[in-house]
Amino acid sequence: MAKLIFLWLKCLVSCCIVEAVFEDQVGKFDWRQQYVGKIRFSHFDSHVQSSKKVLMATEKNVFAALNTRTGELFWRHVDKTGPEGNIDAFLLHGQDALLVVGNGRLLRSWDISVGGLNWEVVLDSGSFQSACLIGQQDTVKHVAVLKKTVISVHYLSNGHQKWIENLPESENIDYQALYSGGNGEVYVLGIVPHSHIAIVVYSMEDGEIIKQTSVEAPWLSNIQTSCAVVGQGMITCVDSLTMSLYTLDMHTQSKMTQIPLQSLGLEVTPHFHPVLVSHQPNAAHQPLSEFLLQLGPEHHLLLQLNSGQMVVLRDFKPALLASFATAGEKTVTAVMSPKNKTACSLSLFNAETGRRLLDTTQFLSIDPNVGKPESIYVQAFLKKDDSVSYRVLVQTEDHTLTFIHLPGRVMWTREEALSEVVTMEMVELPLTGTQAELEGEFGKKADGLLSMVLKRLSSQLILLQAWVSHLWKLFYDARKPRSQVKNEISIENLSRDEFNLQKMMVMVTASGKLYCLTVVKILSLLNFPSPSKLFGIDSKTGSILWKQYLNNVPSNAAFKLMVQRTTAHFPHPPQCTLLIKDKDTGLATLHVFNPIFGKKSHITPPALTQPILQSLMLPLMDQDYAKVLLLIDDQYKVTAFPSSKNVLQQLQETASFIFFYLMDSSQGRLSGYRLRMDLSTEQIWEVIIPTEIQKVVTVKGKRSNEHVHSQGRVMGDRSVLYKYLNPNLLAVVTESTDVHQERSFIGILLIDGVTGRIIHEAVQRKAKGPVHVVHSENWVVYEYWSTKSRRNEFSVIELYEGMELYNSTVFSSLDRPHAPHVLQQSYIFPSAISAMEATLTEKGITSRHLLIGLPSGGILSLPKMFLDPRRPEIVSEQSREENLIPYAPELLIRTEWFINYNQSVSRVRGIHTAPSGLESTCLVVAYGLDIYQTRVYPSKQFDVLKDDYDYMLISSVLFALFFATMISKRLAEVKLLNRAWR
Amino acid sequence: MMHISSILLFIMYFAALVAVSWCFTDMETGPGAALFSPPNGGDRFKIEGRAIVPGLKTQDWVSSARVLVEGEEYVGFLRTDGSFTVNDVPSGSYVVEIVSPTFRFEPVRVDITSKGKMRARLVNYIKTSEVIRQPYPLQIRASGPHSYFMKRETWGWTDFLMNPMVMMMVLPLLIIVLLPKVVNTNDPEMRKEMEQSMNMLSPNPELPDVSELMTKLFSGSKGSSKTSSSSSSSKGPRPAVKRR
Repeated sequence: MAKLIFLWLKCLVSCCIVEAVFEDQVGKFDWRQQYVGKIRFSHFDSHVQSSKKVLMATEKNVFAALNTRTGELFWRHVDKTGPEGNIDAFLLHGQDALLVVGNGRLLRSWDISVGGLNWEVVLDSGSFQSACLIGQQDTVKHVAVLKKTVISVHYLSNGHQKWIENLPESENIDYQALYSGGNGEVYVLGIVPHSHIAIVVYSMEDGEIIKQTSVEAPWLSNIQTSCAVVGQGMITCVDSLTMSLYTLDMHTQSKMTQIPLQSLGLEVTPHFHPVLVSHQPNAAHQPLSEFLLQLGPEHHLLLQLNSGQMVVLRDFKPALLASFATAGEKTVTAVMSPKNKTACSLSLFNAETGRRLLDTTQFLSIDPNVGKPESIYVQAFLKKDDSVSYRVLVQTEDHTLTFIHLPGRVMWTREEALSEVVTMEMVELPLTGTQAELEGEFGKKADGLLSMVLKRLSSQLILLQAWVSHLWKLFYDARKPRSQVKNEISIENLSRDEFNLQKMMVMVTASGKLYCLTVVKILSLLNFPSPSKLFGIDSKTGSILWKQYLNNVPSNAAFKLMVQRTTAHFPHPPQCTLLIKDKDTGLATLHVFNPIFGKKSHITPPALTQPILQSLMLPLMDQDYAKVLLLIDDQYKVTAFPSSKNVLQQLQETASFIFFYLMDSSQGRLSGYRLRMDLSTEQIWEVIIPTEIQKVVTVKGKRSNEHVHSQGRVMGDRSVLYKYLNPNLLAVVTESTDVHQERSFIGILLIDGVTGRIIHEAVQRKAKGPVHVVHSENWVVYEYWSTKSRRNEFSVIELYEGMELYNSTVFSSLDRPHAPHVLQQSYIFPSAISAMEATLTEKGITSRHLLIGLPSGGILSLPKMFLDPRRPEIVSEQSREENLIPYAPELLIRTEWFINYNQSVSRVRGIHTAPSGLESTCLVVAYGLDIYQTRVYPSKQFDVLKDDYDYMLISSVLFALFFATMISKRLAEVKLLNRAWR
Repeated sequence: MMHISSILLFIMYFAALVAVSWCFTDMETGPGAALFSPPNGGDRFKIEGRAIVPGLKTQDWVSSARVLVEGEEYVGFLRTDGSFTVNDVPSGSYVVEIVSPTFRFEPVRVDITSKGKMRARLVNYIKTSEVIRQPYPLQIRASGPHSYFMKRETWGWTDFLMNPMVMMMVLPLLIIVLLPKVVNTNDPEMRKEMEQSMNMLSPNPELPDVSELMTKLFSGSKGSSKTSSSSSSSKGPRPAVKRR
């Protein structure tokens, strides 16, 4: 029986719901952008002369190789998120890239040419301190890893441990740094803060301690930040309190030599921690005796330490950044110095002499919207005439990577901030001038027949003119070679297309991690499809039209983006509002801008002095067609934005119909409020969810722009089952605080947001989160982990009014006496999921699909009809009539349903769906580490001709028929004539 | 009426947004790997195996593949020879999957006891306790490339001509038109031979012609244009033969 059902199911699946991408549609209206995140470590592949690889280990736990010519990824390895995948160190030796991952838990070696793993070893526990390559007699065969208490040495070829030694007195001494000068000895530097430095020298061969010394250094607190090994084993430290440099020869001396900075004619900028940077081009050799010293935010120095003599080779002031690079035998210093507010210059200096190299200066402009340069990575190479040239990778504060070739030519830029999209909105494009004119004609009041006719004629003429110019442009472009014709997208020629399929995507990105300042950036992308489908999978991507860098944002901000005015109200510009809320204090600010051009609006948002609890958009509009935003502060007072007289009056009129809810997750209190005339509020209901047992994870309402077309479902016996379409319904998901797998549970509450009435309550025992919920129409779909059967399960709840509708014209939460019928069914899903969203179309006629982001990188488009609690266990005539699929416990994942085919999207964090002008089409953007944009057709393209529509066939058939009739007519005539003659 | 509808509008648009602070608590309580680890904790094991794509060099696909253990709870990478190790896995039962955008690999369930004994079995989400042993260390062979695309229904002349209905119509027509031309009917020997063969075909002249019977039957019962056209084409020439 089960087999039979399965067969029937398969048959049904293959017959009715064949919905997949065609191969020739690849890249036609979808694009993907892959990101790596903010660089933590980066090296250029230098072991092959003509290598095009730059390797980067990022704060997103990604290790990737990029093509330096194009900025595209060669390969990318995405590790676990969080501290377990954190990359602590990155060493590059020839073809092998060594990574220390997860606070020194794993040591990995990657083959950078293939992108595969050479080996991976588990290291002993203990927090990671440092790692370095160890050279001996001009070859590098080992790598040493220093932990809190142990040092271990591994072979580079296979990762096997050569030896491991406990560090002496590790409970007192804080070992922090490793050094190897290429002579078969490993130096471990430890420190007892404000007392002394401990130096332990190990033999590379067997791990025996050769020497152990301690040197007085009462001023020193941290080796990693203030010391470096320079030249022939000279430890050089800098201290800002005593304003001195200290040097120590590790081989011979036992006391540090103090060199006051004043004796060199230098001084430290107050409150600046000076930084020392040394350079060791080859692990088998000693570091250079030249080093960089940064004494202020814009002050760098190139110094040389030669037989105890400190010489200032060059003083770079002002200089934003400085870095060493080696090409062949030559080492250079690249220095970036600010020129003016919008430009800076980059030059190379000979590291040994400090002399500026000829023809190496280039100027690059700094966009004030991208923030200051943060770090530079220089790729130096030798030209044919043995002079040094270079390319440079610049990372700015907003995580933009720019790769620059010598005459100041930008080869590529990458907006790595887009790997951290927090929230996004899709905004319709504005009408063009002519379109707006035409629209305006219909809006105006009639003023005489003649003038109307004239107006009509003139606008028609304008259209004709536009069409002719378009044709001319087409003709003109057709003569040019294909490669030159570019679909140039600029703000000037932005206009809505026929079906409103192209929209502006306004994205807010943030990175509020431990290491960096918060970076907030609003970027706007356009989902223009690629004009070149010839390249198939390597299709062109959505282009960035504008970007804005907000630099006064708190580090732990939460964001909410709202569209207050769309482009529909022509003379008024569209308006978006970004609510930025500090999560600790609750204080919020508003940033109002034009989503099409990215300009900050001249409207001054209200000053918010109180912490904000909740914000809501009302469908009310002020006289300028801007929707009203209400902000509720912790005194339960309401601030309106915009707060013109008109708005306040409207609010007063409608205050008693405006309800909102607040959720206090720490106390488990969900409460409903009503607005009063004077813009204060009153509580009308409260639901307490005991926090000792369960905690609220998510509260989900319905999307405000959702339309439901059909009020009910037609059953097999021709009766109608009406849906319970409560727009105020909230789905509250709770998780048990007890995490034991036998006792944990997931709870779901359906609460009416106006009355506080609990419509339904369901508990899933032996289940745990993370729970993903989609709430739409009359159904709630949620996914959880079943601890009992160790699998992911989907559950769907559908609400029905029954066979009769109580009040068919309008829905009111206050007047609904009958409780809805609740149907529920659960299914097994054979994969974990990372994000879930439902498709959305203009009128809600099209059937719904669920878009599910999978950890494997696919985005599955699962028809909602598989998640239907009315799926029968036994097939009856009626259920077949209704087109219900018989119940099968397991939902299938078919790769044909992947809307992104082989364009995997990593770590999908959210999926945004938006309706287009076509009812059949829904626009989808998946964001996470990557961004993927496409269109989906849940019920196929029923309202437009398919793109494979065969014009040739239909026209040839028509012509053939036409000629056939002509010929047969002629023949018939001849025959008739002949008959008449007979 | 206007009033009511405006009320409803407001109720409808009643704010449906979540106080932002909590989306983040959701994220933080995310994958509770640490919570799920057994009480004796501490011991961590490794899952080993090898992925094979028949007929392809490993360096062509390893860089885009990953090993996922129970979603993304533990991640492993493939070595250049296709083997893999997922380190630091506590005891428990896990579904090990190799994900690659090009090749399909079957997932395997790996059970690790608290003592570190390993067992691999087929994944069965419905009967979770069913054991069909698989080799351990895992040997996962790709079962072919993923099929992401639907085939376009293309239309060609050959499709049209190779259609059985068209064949049925065209072939007899060809025979009827061409045969009299190929065979010289004026040759008396030939005519004799043909007559003989005709007699062979219908040894009993009293029996009605089978084809005639069929024609009557079909044209009587079904008025489908195709059958009638095909039958008419077969009916047409027959009197001519008989006339001879």
